[in-house]
Amino acid sequence: MRLSALQTALEAYLLTGNSEASPELLDQIHGSAALPAAQGLMIYHNAYRTRLLSVLREDYPALHRWLGDEPFEQLALAFIAAWPSSHFSLRWLGEKLPKFVSSYVVEPQLTPLLELTELEWAFTLAFDAPDAQPLSLDEMSRFADEDWTSLTVRLHPSVNWLRLQRNTLEIWKAVKAQAEIPESTPLQTPLECLVWRCDLACHYRTLAQPEAEALRLMASGKSFPDLCTTLFDEHGEQAPLLAATWLKQWVSEGLLLRN
Amino acid sequence: MSKSNTLGFGLGLRSEYYHQILEQRPAVDWFEIISENYMVGGGKALYFLDAIKDRYPLVMHGVSLSIGGQHAIDSDYLRQLKALADRVQPRWISDHLCWSRGNAHHLHDLLPQPFTQESLLHVAGRVRLVQDVLQRPLVLENVSAYLQWTTSSMSEAQFLAELSNLTGCELLLDVNNVYVSSRNQGFDAWQFIMALPHERIRQIHLAGHSDYGQYLIDTHDQPIADPVWALYAKTLSYLGPTATLIERDDLFPPLDELLAELEKARTVAAGVFKRAAPCA
Repeated sequence: MRLSALQTALEAYLLTGNSEASPELLDQIHGSAALPAAQGLMIYHNAYRTRLLSVLREDYPALHRWLGDEPFEQLALAFIAAWPSSHFSLRWLGEKLPKFVSSYVVEPQLTPLLELTELEWAFTLAFDAPDAQPLSLDEMSRFADEDWTSLTVRLHPSVNWLRLQRNTLEIWKAVKAQAEIPESTPLQTPLECLVWRCDLACHYRTLAQPEAEALRLMASGKSFPDLCTTLFDEHGEQAPLLAATWLKQWVSEGLLLRN
Repeated sequence: MSKSNTLGFGLGLRSEYYHQILEQRPAVDWFEIISENYMVGGGKALYFLDAIKDRYPLVMHGVSLSIGGQHAIDSDYLRQLKALADRVQPRWISDHLCWSRGNAHHLHDLLPQPFTQESLLHVAGRVRLVQDVLQRPLVLENVSAYLQWTTSSMSEAQFLAELSNLTGCELLLDVNNVYVSSRNQGFDAWQFIMALPHERIRQIHLAGHSDYGQYLIDTHDQPIADPVWALYAKTLSYLGPTATLIERDDLFPPLDELLAELEKARTVAAGVFKRAAPCA
């Protein structure tokens, strides 16, 4: 058998859920007294699944604990079988798990599972997103008047913005704290949640709707005076103070880059 | 290849030890990084990489080149590997003689190559391409294998020797892998090592394995086994001083335990070369 045929046969064997090798593949392999051909093949078959499952457990620890060992393994194996790895780095193996959950799970489990997978993947993305120097309070303290009037910003590349429909964050926090996990329940109003990296550590924070709208406005490229003007309708003369307070918070959290 | 440029005794750089390495500056001559772990946009891994590369010599060791695969060489991977090399300025860049990607998917394992003439010419062409991009010799490691292809017409050692001859690539001799494969497949580990072109061996790997009685699995989660130490000593007596690296990839012990293993490697080497030194 030629090189390409051998590799195709072994790839097909590894990807299938059945660890029993075909006679055609076994014919291509020398066994030894210590390790017969079928057993040697099975080592690779097991190692493939063990390695990929281990990566998914690391990327989705809360989902793992929430579902439990067996259901998690069932979901992960179904995912691996449906969408085998398409990137050279295992770091990207779990990227499409949320999408897979959307196609594999039905309501009422779908929304809670999907939100939790999206939340966990946001942390993975934030962890090693590109570096960028955020705007600092120190830099802002040296702003001249024209800096304030022309100030526009964008979000740090590590920022992931989620809109949660359920108490998924509470579930995630309980898992991290190894506390009792609450039931998944819908929220009265959706919750805006940021996940990002600052000083090498991942952070998360929820935002009330007015603050979320203000940050979204600034992140869309509007200037600081635009934000003050927008806030004026509702907050009147307090608008500049409110805008400055929020801006200071976002900057202190390392959320913004100056344009 | 001059043996005078051996780096001494190194450890695999793993995130579990980042802080201790920077705070304690352990007596490690060099570190080997897993290249793929640093092919990321930013964050902790690159921060510590930059800090550690200013303090220790580094070597890059990849697991995804799939030099023996039938697929086209992944140009995106190669571009990222070159960019990382430009950042790290490693002493050398290694990967494995194996394939890890099939026709359609990445299999994330070091799968055994058939040792045929067809396979040799296929791999040689790819090694030349990679070396052209990286602008340096590629260093290739023998893997632990759990099967042998019936179609093979030469041994792995002969294949590596031929490949090195054809391409100028260098070799990373994993002594533990030789031992694991020799036990699993019933060949003579020493004969394997003797068949390698010793002047091409740039580096040695040492690691632990798991013993399942009938066979061994290369798990990198155990201390180095006594027969591997013995094979290492014998290998050094044949090769002379050679850069030696201890790999640990799971069940990470306190760093002191790995440093003690590294000290043992130094002692083994010192014993070998003391015996080999001419009388005054």
